[in-house]
Amino acid sequence: MAEDEEPPILTAVSNSARQLYLLLRCINFSEKAHVVITEEGIKFSVEEASSMEGSAFLDKSLFTTYIYRAPPRQEQPEQDNSDTESDTDLNTTPSFQISLPSLLETLQILGLTDPNNSKPLWARDNPSSTAFTNNVLGLNNMCLISYRRLGCPLSIILTESTIRTTCDLTTYEPDYADEIPFDRQSLAFKTIMRGTWLFDAISELSSTAPEHITLIARMSKGKPKFALSATGSLGSVRVELHNNGDSITTGAAHPSRPGAVRDADDVPKQANLLETFQLGDPTTPLRAAYKFSLIQKAAKAMSIATKVSVRVDTQGVLSLQFMIEVGGGEAGGGGGKVSFVDFRFVPLVDDEGDGDYEDEEEGKEGGDDGGEEEEEL
Amino acid sequence: MRFKASIQNTNTFTKLTASFNSLGPLAWVKLDAEHVHFTVIPEQGTQVWAVVSIDSIFDTYTVQSAANNVINLEVPLVLLNRALKTAWNASSAQIRLTKKDNVPLLALTIVTTSSSSHAGFPTAPTNNDDGFDAPFEQQLGGNSRETIITQEVPVRVLAPDVVAGLHEPQCREPDVHILLPPLLQLKSISDRFTKLSLIGKSGNGSAAPRTRLELSANMHGCLKLSIKTDAMSISSLWTDLSNPELDPSQITMDIADHPSTKMKQLGSADGRSEEGWATVRIDARDWGKVMSVGRLGGRVVACFCHEFALILYVYLPTDNGEQESVLTYYLKTTGHGTPLSS
Repeated sequence: MAEDEEPPILTAVSNSARQLYLLLRCINFSEKAHVVITEEGIKFSVEEASSMEGSAFLDKSLFTTYIYRAPPRQEQPEQDNSDTESDTDLNTTPSFQISLPSLLETLQILGLTDPNNSKPLWARDNPSSTAFTNNVLGLNNMCLISYRRLGCPLSIILTESTIRTTCDLTTYEPDYADEIPFDRQSLAFKTIMRGTWLFDAISELSSTAPEHITLIARMSKGKPKFALSATGSLGSVRVELHNNGDSITTGAAHPSRPGAVRDADDVPKQANLLETFQLGDPTTPLRAAYKFSLIQKAAKAMSIATKVSVRVDTQGVLSLQFMIEVGGGEAGGGGGKVSFVDFRFVPLVDDEGDGDYEDEEEGKEGGDDGGEEEEEL
Repeated sequence: MRFKASIQNTNTFTKLTASFNSLGPLAWVKLDAEHVHFTVIPEQGTQVWAVVSIDSIFDTYTVQSAANNVINLEVPLVLLNRALKTAWNASSAQIRLTKKDNVPLLALTIVTTSSSSHAGFPTAPTNNDDGFDAPFEQQLGGNSRETIITQEVPVRVLAPDVVAGLHEPQCREPDVHILLPPLLQLKSISDRFTKLSLIGKSGNGSAAPRTRLELSANMHGCLKLSIKTDAMSISSLWTDLSNPELDPSQITMDIADHPSTKMKQLGSADGRSEEGWATVRIDARDWGKVMSVGRLGGRVVACFCHEFALILYVYLPTDNGEQESVLTYYLKTTGHGTPLSS
């Protein structure tokens, strides 16, 4: 067939579908994911109510084979050639939507049940394995992702021993929703910590079923202080992360005493909780509030991330960037591969006037020395 | 009318009743001198007609009746299964047909030996008179004690003319017959497909439409399971399965005229060819129930009548290679699901 002569836009082979699954599971909070395929890898992003977005980047290093051929620029052949360069780029970078839950379910099919795996060779029902079969070479678990050309389904082919599963995911027209703008050149605040610490803090806060979460960062007597606090119908919780050797201190209070904090200065010294701590304006504390239910959607990423970079720009947009190590010890080889999952949150605007976010304006004044490269985690 | 047997293999019997119970609540159990027949005919869905050799579940076995020593019973499977579960790991178990207050029932007498580690648990209430024995035995240093449990399952005795009208379904010769991969493997993939088909439908509030799995096979060792939704189409292909040889004594026609012989001319062993497939569409939930027989771990031959029916023959494993027990499942294709886009 003529259409087969053209090589596909993307051919990517991984022998650990589990790695891909673990990364994509972090952003599994929406029916549809936006997919962008580039030379460098595949980016999956989801958004919710235009107030948060999450994205996972599958770097080409996660794949044993990654062949990308930009689609030919012949989308508007006879039309006016006055198209700007950027316009053409938009058209030729493959971009579409797929059903994310379907993709995740599919990735789990591999290795679902090989009843033989748990038994020694001599106890198997059909000892099909010989020294020369693929099992021995570790080739029996393979995941091939391919995208033939614009408009085609995204197909996933999973192979193990004698079963081959082919899944064609329908590709939908992309929604051109704007990304949440995040100005990494003018940061009001930045800190880096272990993902699980943030996870613990968020789990602690969730006990009061709060609506909002307030993030507070300030320098106190030359020491960085970072706190997360939330007030719900059941009470209020404030988690503080200090940098002078204190571990996480939490204080739960009754609704009558919101925000009470247990003093924890006598905790023995430990490694620094906050690896980096930068305030746009060290003299002014930063306060910003976000919807708690949205922040909670990043919990999966927090729980498996090695590190998280927490940044707030001068507009109050929160960026959580998670560094996730996948497949260090797994069959995928190439131990210590690092991947990134990003989340962005739009701040809540202080319209109720309950005084919780009154310092927000001051935070916006800073931001002269906060610029950092994104990949520098 | 007499029926009495000691259960030789309670685990098999329990799994068997559990599998039947997933298809329907009542079983017609026919006891004769050589076999126990279990038949489940639900209102809708899959029928199962099982012929189980006496040896595979019972040990000593007596059946007597005025009607040629055949007894027909209607047995509530839930109760029988629950009763058998108490016999799990029992040292011995007996079953007999008896009557209490004019209600016929199957009485199970189960003797379990519990070790001292379980002595802290209260023993199940028993009706035996020698209630003193157990603690006494323990005092004497015996680390185990015997518990006798009696379970009663009310049944209905069916007169011969009631069941005379029940016949095993007839079907034309199949187009493709193939030995299925391990059912548990097939089940786990089918279950995931079913889950996939429900993605995005739960939010609608309305009852999810019945999911249809498409199952195809060819005469070159390939089996294909597929499902299609708006968001995706997915299929799993098994290759290198075997198509058993036909036994000429079992079929009425010449093998050369058999539909499967013609199907053998078509298709290929890598499953890529569009030709040579016999296809049925089955309700995913129903299929899941049938697959539950996988816990018995027998060989399964699937017979495909293209666009008509699927018949599964489940051969229970036997230890001594004696008479085989066969469970036969009849599945009807559920009309035309998604039109084939060929």
